[in-house]
Amino acid sequence: MSGLMNAVLQYGSAAAALVVVGLGIRLGRKWAPVDSQMDARPMLVGMSVAALVLLAVGGWLGLVWSPQDREMGDVYRIIYVHVPAMWMAMLTLVLNFACCVSYLLKANWKTDALAEASAEVGLLFGGFGLVLGAIWGRPTWGVYWDWDPRLTAMAIMLVTYTAYMALRRFVEDPDKRAVWSSVVGIISFANLPIVWFSVKWWRSLHQVQSTPKTVDPEMALSLRVNAWAFLILLTLFLLHRYRIALATREAEVALPDALPPDAPASRDGNSTEVA
Amino acid sequence: MSTVLETTTLLAQVGMGRIQGGWEYIWAAYGIAWASLSLYALSLWIRRPIKASRDTKE
Repeated sequence: MSGLMNAVLQYGSAAAALVVVGLGIRLGRKWAPVDSQMDARPMLVGMSVAALVLLAVGGWLGLVWSPQDREMGDVYRIIYVHVPAMWMAMLTLVLNFACCVSYLLKANWKTDALAEASAEVGLLFGGFGLVLGAIWGRPTWGVYWDWDPRLTAMAIMLVTYTAYMALRRFVEDPDKRAVWSSVVGIISFANLPIVWFSVKWWRSLHQVQSTPKTVDPEMALSLRVNAWAFLILLTLFLLHRYRIALATREAEVALPDALPPDAPASRDGNSTEVA
Repeated sequence: MSTVLETTTLLAQVGMGRIQGGWEYIWAAYGIAWASLSLYALSLWIRRPIKASRDTKE
């Protein structure tokens, strides 16, 4: 593939990513609040169709069009779903960290809702990405699992984000829940740079990061197309999950009004308004 | 016994310089990825906020 084609793909990918993120931010502001009057259906359907088409094309490119790897033969084709899944997991967990810090600096229920959404979606991508990595490990390493630094760090990170989600479910007070989970989110994030750099710091079983620059140019297109599909899906998942979190929070704020005035459990009036 | 056989087979494949076959792992990986995405999308659909309570007649 020519250098020009690679440059077009590189800039095209950056532009496509910016458009998807821009759409996500716009819909998050205008459509996600439950009382929104915005009719986002055409945009959401368009994004869903684009994601499914790209997923199908990416599947064909990865399973059929791409050449075999010199050493791994066909099994390396798992890279086209494993690597984009891990990228999306890291992206959402960076977003979660930003939301946790932001909430502690300035309490805002929208930030807390986005933190919750990003942790859950990050856990999804990280969870199945790790399983895919284990499946890839069996024919290449001979084992599904090894206590390799990258695998161990990733497993620890998933456990900490599972704890984050569990904490959010167990703490009933919304204020305490938001503060405590923000702290846990920040602590959990400390592991993310270790996950990313582990393959450089400790040269062990896991190969170095796979990116369009480190894989063969013949494989870069398949990797990019699958990453585009996953990015659109990630944006859609985040939007819908954020909307659910906002609605849940709104219902919690509305709850004291539904209780009788003499109810002992009625809140003391310090429930924060949904920002 | 079967583990020894599997390991021997794997070593024989690697000995050729390139891993042969392995499509069952590829299909399993793609299947898990697509199933995870589909099931999560379904869970979001099931949990979607219903606006009806706000819009119903008082």
